[in-house]
Amino acid sequence: MQADSSAVPPNHDHRKQEPDITLRPFDLSDVGAFMTWASDPRVTSFQRRGPCTSEEDARRYLADHVLPHPWYRAICVDGRLVGSINAKPGQGEERFKASIAYRLAYQHWGRGIATAALRAAVSSLLEEWPHLERLEAIAEVENPASQRVLEKAGFLREGLLRKYVMLHGKSRDVVMYSLPATHPNSDDI
Amino acid sequence: MAEEREITLRRFDLSDLDDYMVWASDHRVSAFCRWDTYTDKEDLRRYMRETVLPHPWFRAICLGGRPIGAVSVNLGAGCDRCKGELGYVLAAAHWGRGYGTAAAKMAVRSVFQEVEGLERVEALVDVDNKGSQRVLEKAGFVREGVLRKSMVLKGRTRDMVVFSFISADALVD
Repeated sequence: MQADSSAVPPNHDHRKQEPDITLRPFDLSDVGAFMTWASDPRVTSFQRRGPCTSEEDARRYLADHVLPHPWYRAICVDGRLVGSINAKPGQGEERFKASIAYRLAYQHWGRGIATAALRAAVSSLLEEWPHLERLEAIAEVENPASQRVLEKAGFLREGLLRKYVMLHGKSRDVVMYSLPATHPNSDDI
Repeated sequence: MAEEREITLRRFDLSDLDDYMVWASDHRVSAFCRWDTYTDKEDLRRYMRETVLPHPWFRAICLGGRPIGAVSVNLGAGCDRCKGELGYVLAAAHWGRGYGTAAAKMAVRSVFQEVEGLERVEALVDVDNKGSQRVLEKAGFVREGVLRKSMVLKGRTRDMVVFSFISADALVD
Protein backbone atom coordinates (compact mmCIF):
# COMPACT_ATOMS: atom_id res chain seq x y z
CA MET A 1 0.00 0.00 0.00
CA GLN A 2 1.28 3.48 -0.88
CA ALA A 3 1.38 6.07 1.88
CA ASP A 4 -0.46 8.92 0.19
CA SER A 5 -2.77 10.93 2.40
CA SER A 6 -6.04 9.77 0.89
CA ALA A 7 -5.16 6.06 0.98
CA VAL A 8 -7.06 5.66 -2.29
CA PRO A 9 -5.26 3.52 -4.87
CA PRO A 10 -3.61 5.42 -7.73
CA ASN A 11 -5.37 6.36 -10.93
CA HIS A 12 -4.83 3.34 -13.19
CA ASP A 13 -6.20 3.24 -16.72
CA HIS A 14 -9.12 1.03 -15.76
CA ARG A 15 -10.47 3.77 -13.50
CA LYS A 16 -11.47 5.80 -16.56
CA GLN A 17 -14.07 3.09 -17.20
CA GLU A 18 -15.48 3.32 -13.66
CA PRO A 19 -18.79 5.17 -13.54
CA ASP A 20 -19.37 8.42 -11.64
CA ILE A 21 -21.02 7.59 -8.38
CA THR A 22 -22.09 9.65 -5.40
CA LEU A 23 -22.84 8.58 -1.86
CA ARG A 24 -25.54 10.24 0.23
CA PRO A 25 -27.55 9.49 3.37
CA PHE A 26 -30.82 7.58 2.98
CA ASP A 27 -34.28 9.07 3.36
CA LEU A 28 -37.56 7.25 4.03
CA SER A 29 -38.73 8.33 0.58
CA ASP A 30 -36.03 6.04 -0.89
CA VAL A 31 -38.07 2.97 0.05
CA GLY A 32 -39.18 2.24 -3.53
CA ALA A 33 -35.65 2.17 -4.97
CA PHE A 34 -34.42 0.35 -1.86
CA MET A 35 -36.89 -2.46 -2.52
CA THR A 36 -35.25 -3.06 -5.93
CA TRP A 37 -32.31 -4.84 -4.39
CA ALA A 38 -33.61 -5.51 -0.88
CA SER A 39 -36.32 -7.83 -2.20
CA ASP A 40 -34.03 -9.61 -4.69
CA PRO A 41 -32.79 -13.03 -3.48
CA ARG A 42 -29.84 -12.81 -5.90
CA VAL A 43 -28.60 -9.82 -3.88
CA THR A 44 -29.69 -10.94 -0.43
CA SER A 45 -28.20 -14.44 -0.71
CA PHE A 46 -24.90 -12.87 0.32
CA GLN A 47 -26.47 -10.78 3.07
CA ARG A 48 -27.28 -11.72 6.64
CA ARG A 49 -30.84 -10.60 6.15
CA GLY A 50 -33.28 -12.36 3.84
CA PRO A 51 -35.21 -10.47 1.15
CA CYS A 52 -37.70 -7.78 2.18
CA THR A 53 -41.17 -9.17 1.61
CA SER A 54 -43.09 -5.91 1.38
CA GLU A 55 -42.65 -2.15 1.13
CA GLU A 56 -43.80 -1.94 4.76
CA ASP A 57 -41.04 -4.38 5.72
CA ALA A 58 -38.50 -2.24 3.79
CA ARG A 59 -39.80 1.00 5.30
CA ARG A 60 -39.45 -0.47 8.80
CA TYR A 61 -35.89 -1.61 8.04
CA LEU A 62 -34.98 1.86 6.73
CA ALA A 63 -36.47 3.55 9.81
CA ASP A 64 -35.16 1.12 12.44
CA HIS A 65 -31.80 0.14 11.05
CA VAL A 66 -30.59 2.29 8.15
CA LEU A 67 -31.45 5.82 9.28
CA PRO A 68 -30.03 5.51 12.83
CA HIS A 69 -26.96 3.57 11.63
CA PRO A 70 -23.49 5.05 12.41
CA TRP A 71 -22.60 5.06 8.67
CA TYR A 72 -25.00 3.96 5.96
CA ARG A 73 -25.03 5.53 2.50
CA ALA A 74 -27.04 5.26 -0.68
CA ILE A 75 -25.00 4.61 -3.83
CA CYS A 76 -26.24 6.81 -6.66
CA VAL A 77 -25.37 6.74 -10.37
CA ASP A 78 -26.57 9.76 -12.35
CA GLY A 79 -28.73 10.65 -9.36
CA ARG A 80 -30.46 7.24 -9.33
CA LEU A 81 -30.30 4.99 -6.30
CA VAL A 82 -28.65 1.68 -7.26
CA GLY A 83 -27.39 0.23 -3.99
CA SER A 84 -26.05 0.87 -0.53
CA ILE A 85 -22.85 0.71 1.44
CA ASN A 86 -22.32 0.80 5.18
CA ALA A 87 -19.54 0.74 7.73
CA LYS A 88 -19.99 -0.81 11.14
CA PRO A 89 -17.53 0.48 13.74
CA GLY A 90 -16.25 -1.78 16.51
CA GLN A 91 -17.59 -1.35 20.03
CA GLY A 92 -15.63 0.23 22.88
CA GLU A 93 -11.98 -0.82 22.64
CA GLU A 94 -12.57 -1.89 19.04
CA ARG A 95 -13.55 1.57 17.77
CA PHE A 96 -10.30 1.67 15.82
CA LYS A 97 -11.70 -0.77 13.28
CA ALA A 98 -14.79 -0.94 11.10
CA SER A 99 -16.26 -3.49 8.73
CA ILE A 100 -17.66 -2.49 5.37
CA ALA A 101 -20.50 -4.15 3.50
CA TYR A 102 -22.27 -3.16 0.30
CA ARG A 103 -24.99 -4.37 -2.01
CA LEU A 104 -26.06 -3.40 -5.50
CA ALA A 105 -29.21 -3.89 -7.55
CA TYR A 106 -28.64 -6.89 -9.84
CA GLN A 107 -29.07 -4.97 -13.10
CA HIS A 108 -26.09 -2.78 -12.17
CA TRP A 109 -23.62 -5.56 -11.44
CA GLY A 110 -20.43 -5.80 -13.53
CA ARG A 111 -20.03 -2.07 -14.29
CA GLY A 112 -17.50 -1.11 -11.63
CA ILE A 113 -20.07 0.67 -9.47
CA ALA A 114 -19.32 -1.27 -6.30
CA THR A 115 -15.58 -0.68 -6.69
CA ALA A 116 -16.14 3.05 -7.16
CA ALA A 117 -18.50 3.14 -4.17
CA LEU A 118 -15.94 1.36 -2.00
CA ARG A 119 -13.22 3.82 -2.96
CA ALA A 120 -15.50 6.76 -2.18
CA ALA A 121 -16.62 5.21 1.11
CA VAL A 122 -13.03 4.52 2.20
CA SER A 123 -12.08 8.11 1.40
CA SER A 124 -14.98 9.52 3.44
CA LEU A 125 -14.46 7.16 6.36
CA LEU A 126 -10.77 7.97 6.73
CA GLU A 127 -11.68 11.64 6.86
CA GLU A 128 -14.66 11.31 9.21
CA TRP A 129 -13.07 8.78 11.61
CA PRO A 130 -9.46 9.86 12.18
CA HIS A 131 -9.06 7.20 14.91
CA LEU A 132 -9.66 4.42 12.36
CA GLU A 133 -6.76 1.99 11.87
CA ARG A 134 -8.39 -0.94 10.14
CA LEU A 135 -11.15 -1.28 7.57
CA GLU A 136 -12.18 -4.86 6.94
CA ALA A 137 -14.61 -6.65 4.68
CA ILE A 138 -15.57 -10.25 4.13
CA ALA A 139 -16.70 -11.99 0.97
CA GLU A 140 -18.03 -15.50 0.84
CA VAL A 141 -15.71 -18.05 -0.74
CA GLU A 142 -18.56 -18.70 -3.21
CA ASN A 143 -18.72 -15.00 -4.18
CA PRO A 144 -15.68 -14.38 -6.41
CA ALA A 145 -17.31 -11.26 -7.93
CA SER A 146 -17.28 -9.56 -4.55
CA GLN A 147 -13.71 -10.71 -3.93
CA ARG A 148 -12.68 -9.04 -7.20
CA VAL A 149 -14.52 -5.83 -6.22
CA LEU A 150 -12.62 -5.65 -2.93
CA GLU A 151 -9.30 -6.38 -4.62
CA LYS A 152 -9.88 -3.69 -7.26
CA ALA A 153 -10.73 -1.23 -4.51
CA GLY A 154 -7.33 -1.89 -2.93
CA PHE A 155 -8.27 -4.28 -0.13
CA LEU A 156 -5.71 -6.99 0.59
CA ARG A 157 -6.66 -10.62 1.14
CA GLU A 158 -5.68 -11.86 4.60
CA GLY A 159 -6.96 -15.42 4.64
CA LEU A 160 -9.78 -17.88 4.30
CA LEU A 161 -11.74 -18.09 7.54
CA ARG A 162 -13.68 -21.33 7.80
CA LYS A 163 -17.29 -21.35 9.07
CA TYR A 164 -16.87 -17.73 10.11
CA VAL A 165 -20.43 -16.46 9.92
CA MET A 166 -24.02 -17.76 9.73
CA LEU A 167 -26.00 -16.72 6.67
CA HIS A 168 -29.52 -18.00 6.16
CA GLY A 169 -29.10 -20.80 8.67
CA LYS A 170 -25.80 -22.15 7.37
CA SER A 171 -22.22 -21.43 8.45
CA ARG A 172 -20.09 -20.01 5.63
CA ASP A 173 -16.44 -19.91 4.71
CA VAL A 174 -15.32 -16.37 3.94
CA VAL A 175 -12.30 -14.52 2.66
CA MET A 176 -11.19 -11.71 4.98
CA TYR A 177 -9.87 -8.49 3.46
CA SER A 178 -8.49 -5.35 5.02
CA LEU A 179 -7.26 -1.93 4.11
CA PRO A 180 -4.94 -0.45 6.69
CA ALA A 181 -6.14 3.09 7.33
CA THR A 182 -3.33 5.42 6.37
CA HIS A 183 -3.87 8.89 7.76
CA PRO A 184 -1.77 11.96 6.89
CA ASN A 185 -0.07 12.10 10.31
CA SER A 186 0.31 8.38 11.02
CA ASP A 187 3.70 6.69 11.12
CA ASP A 188 2.40 3.83 8.97
CA ILE A 189 4.20 2.64 5.89
CA MET B 1 -0.11 -37.62 25.19
CA ALA B 2 1.43 -37.82 28.66
CA GLU B 3 0.59 -34.19 29.46
CA GLU B 4 -3.12 -34.80 28.87
CA ARG B 5 -3.13 -37.43 31.63
CA GLU B 6 -1.71 -34.88 34.08
CA ILE B 7 -3.96 -31.96 33.15
CA THR B 8 -7.62 -31.64 34.07
CA LEU B 9 -10.13 -28.87 33.37
CA ARG B 10 -12.79 -27.81 35.88
CA ARG B 11 -14.86 -24.75 36.75
CA PHE B 12 -13.25 -22.10 38.96
CA ASP B 13 -14.28 -21.37 42.52
CA LEU B 14 -13.54 -18.23 44.55
CA SER B 15 -11.32 -20.39 46.77
CA ASP B 16 -8.93 -20.58 43.76
CA LEU B 17 -8.10 -16.88 44.23
CA ASP B 18 -4.54 -17.36 45.53
CA ASP B 19 -3.65 -19.83 42.78
CA TYR B 20 -5.17 -17.49 40.17
CA MET B 21 -3.12 -14.58 41.55
CA VAL B 22 0.10 -16.48 40.76
CA TRP B 23 -0.25 -15.94 36.98
CA ALA B 24 -2.54 -12.89 37.10
CA SER B 25 0.16 -10.88 38.88
CA ASP B 26 2.96 -11.97 36.51
CA HIS B 27 4.07 -9.49 33.80
CA ARG B 28 5.49 -12.31 31.69
CA VAL B 29 2.04 -13.87 31.52
CA SER B 30 0.03 -10.69 30.88
CA ALA B 31 2.43 -9.38 28.21
CA PHE B 32 0.41 -10.75 25.28
CA CYS B 33 -2.97 -10.67 27.04
CA ARG B 34 -5.75 -8.13 26.81
CA TRP B 35 -5.80 -7.69 30.59
CA ASP B 36 -3.28 -5.82 32.75
CA THR B 37 -1.23 -7.46 35.49
CA TYR B 38 -3.13 -7.61 38.80
CA THR B 39 -1.55 -5.98 41.84
CA ASP B 40 -4.54 -6.15 44.21
CA LYS B 41 -6.17 -9.45 45.19
CA GLU B 42 -9.50 -7.67 45.70
CA ASP B 43 -9.50 -6.57 42.05
CA LEU B 44 -8.88 -10.17 41.04
CA ARG B 45 -11.61 -11.43 43.38
CA ARG B 46 -14.03 -9.00 41.73
CA TYR B 47 -12.93 -10.19 38.27
CA MET B 48 -13.47 -13.82 39.30
CA ARG B 49 -16.89 -13.05 40.76
CA GLU B 50 -18.12 -10.83 37.91
CA THR B 51 -16.51 -12.44 34.87
CA VAL B 52 -14.97 -15.85 35.55
CA LEU B 53 -17.66 -17.55 37.65
CA PRO B 54 -20.73 -16.54 35.56
CA HIS B 55 -18.94 -17.02 32.21
CA PRO B 56 -20.60 -19.47 29.79
CA TRP B 57 -17.31 -21.35 29.27
CA PHE B 58 -14.33 -20.68 31.55
CA ARG B 59 -12.19 -23.45 33.03
CA ALA B 60 -9.24 -23.83 35.35
CA ILE B 61 -6.28 -25.73 33.90
CA CYS B 62 -5.30 -28.02 36.79
CA LEU B 63 -2.18 -30.00 37.55
CA GLY B 64 -2.74 -32.47 40.35
CA GLY B 65 -6.11 -30.79 40.92
CA ARG B 66 -4.66 -27.30 41.51
CA PRO B 67 -5.10 -24.44 38.99
CA ILE B 68 -1.97 -23.52 37.04
CA GLY B 69 -3.82 -21.51 34.40
CA ALA B 70 -7.12 -20.81 32.71
CA VAL B 71 -8.80 -21.53 29.40
CA SER B 72 -11.98 -19.94 28.10
CA VAL B 73 -14.15 -19.81 25.02
CA ASN B 74 -16.09 -16.63 24.29
CA LEU B 75 -19.21 -17.73 22.42
CA GLY B 76 -20.80 -15.68 19.64
CA ALA B 77 -24.47 -14.81 19.22
CA GLY B 78 -26.78 -14.27 16.27
CA CYS B 79 -24.85 -14.49 13.00
CA ASP B 80 -21.76 -15.36 15.05
CA ARG B 81 -23.34 -18.24 16.98
CA CYS B 82 -21.35 -20.80 14.96
CA LYS B 83 -18.08 -19.59 16.42
CA GLY B 84 -16.23 -19.09 19.67
CA GLU B 85 -12.89 -17.52 20.56
CA LEU B 86 -10.40 -19.48 22.62
CA GLY B 87 -8.15 -17.80 25.13
CA TYR B 88 -5.78 -19.44 27.55
CA VAL B 89 -3.11 -18.51 30.04
CA LEU B 90 -0.58 -20.55 31.97
CA ALA B 91 1.60 -19.72 34.96
CA ALA B 92 5.17 -19.12 33.76
CA ALA B 93 6.61 -21.88 35.98
CA HIS B 94 4.72 -24.42 33.87
CA TRP B 95 5.62 -23.15 30.41
CA GLY B 96 7.38 -25.47 27.96
CA ARG B 97 5.89 -28.73 29.25
CA GLY B 98 3.05 -29.19 26.77
CA TYR B 99 0.34 -28.21 29.27
CA GLY B 100 -0.96 -25.37 27.07
CA THR B 101 -1.31 -27.73 24.11
CA ALA B 102 -3.04 -30.34 26.28
CA ALA B 103 -5.43 -27.74 27.72
CA ALA B 104 -6.26 -26.31 24.28
CA LYS B 105 -7.00 -29.80 22.90
CA MET B 106 -9.18 -30.71 25.87
CA ALA B 107 -11.02 -27.38 25.78
CA VAL B 108 -11.80 -27.72 22.07
CA ARG B 109 -13.05 -31.29 22.52
CA SER B 110 -15.27 -30.31 25.45
CA VAL B 111 -16.70 -27.12 24.03
CA PHE B 112 -17.77 -28.76 20.75
CA GLN B 113 -19.52 -31.47 22.78
CA GLU B 114 -21.19 -29.03 25.16
CA VAL B 115 -22.24 -26.14 22.92
CA GLU B 116 -24.90 -26.86 20.31
CA GLY B 117 -24.41 -25.17 16.96
CA LEU B 118 -20.74 -24.39 17.56
CA GLU B 119 -18.71 -25.15 14.43
CA ARG B 120 -15.61 -22.97 14.72
CA VAL B 121 -13.25 -22.23 17.59
CA GLU B 122 -10.82 -19.49 16.67
CA ALA B 123 -7.84 -17.99 18.43
CA LEU B 124 -6.05 -14.71 17.77
CA VAL B 125 -2.37 -14.57 18.64
CA ASP B 126 0.04 -11.64 18.46
CA VAL B 127 2.43 -12.13 15.50
CA ASP B 128 5.33 -11.85 17.96
CA ASN B 129 3.98 -14.51 20.31
CA LYS B 130 5.69 -17.50 18.69
CA GLY B 131 5.27 -19.73 21.75
CA SER B 132 1.50 -19.44 21.69
CA GLN B 133 1.41 -19.99 17.92
CA ARG B 134 3.30 -23.27 18.41
CA VAL B 135 0.89 -24.36 21.15
CA LEU B 136 -2.09 -23.91 18.84
CA GLU B 137 -0.42 -25.62 15.90
CA LYS B 138 0.46 -28.61 18.06
CA ALA B 139 -3.12 -28.67 19.35
CA GLY B 140 -4.32 -29.08 15.76
CA PHE B 141 -5.46 -25.54 14.95
CA VAL B 142 -5.10 -24.37 11.35
CA ARG B 143 -3.32 -21.07 10.72
CA GLU B 144 -5.60 -19.08 8.40
CA GLY B 145 -3.76 -15.79 8.00
CA VAL B 146 -2.71 -12.54 9.63
CA LEU B 147 -5.32 -9.88 10.46
CA ARG B 148 -3.46 -6.59 10.31
CA LYS B 149 -3.97 -4.01 13.05
CA SER B 150 -6.86 -6.01 14.39
CA MET B 151 -6.35 -5.83 18.14
CA VAL B 152 -5.19 -3.27 20.68
CA LEU B 153 -2.83 -4.81 23.23
CA LYS B 154 -1.18 -2.68 25.91
CA GLY B 155 -2.12 0.48 24.02
CA ARG B 156 -0.66 -0.60 20.66
CA THR B 157 -2.50 -1.88 17.61
CA ARG B 158 -1.19 -5.32 16.77
CA ASP B 159 -1.20 -7.70 13.84
CA MET B 160 -2.82 -10.97 14.95
CA VAL B 161 -2.45 -14.46 13.52
CA VAL B 162 -5.86 -16.10 13.25
CA PHE B 163 -6.14 -19.84 13.92
CA SER B 164 -9.19 -22.04 13.81
CA PHE B 165 -10.38 -25.49 14.77
CA ILE B 166 -13.53 -26.67 13.00
CA SER B 167 -15.90 -29.21 14.56
CA ALA B 168 -15.25 -31.56 11.64
CA ASP B 169 -11.51 -31.41 12.45
CA ALA B 170 -12.27 -32.57 16.00
CA LEU B 171 -13.69 -35.87 14.77
CA VAL B 172 -10.37 -36.78 13.16
CA ASP B 173 -8.31 -35.96 16.26
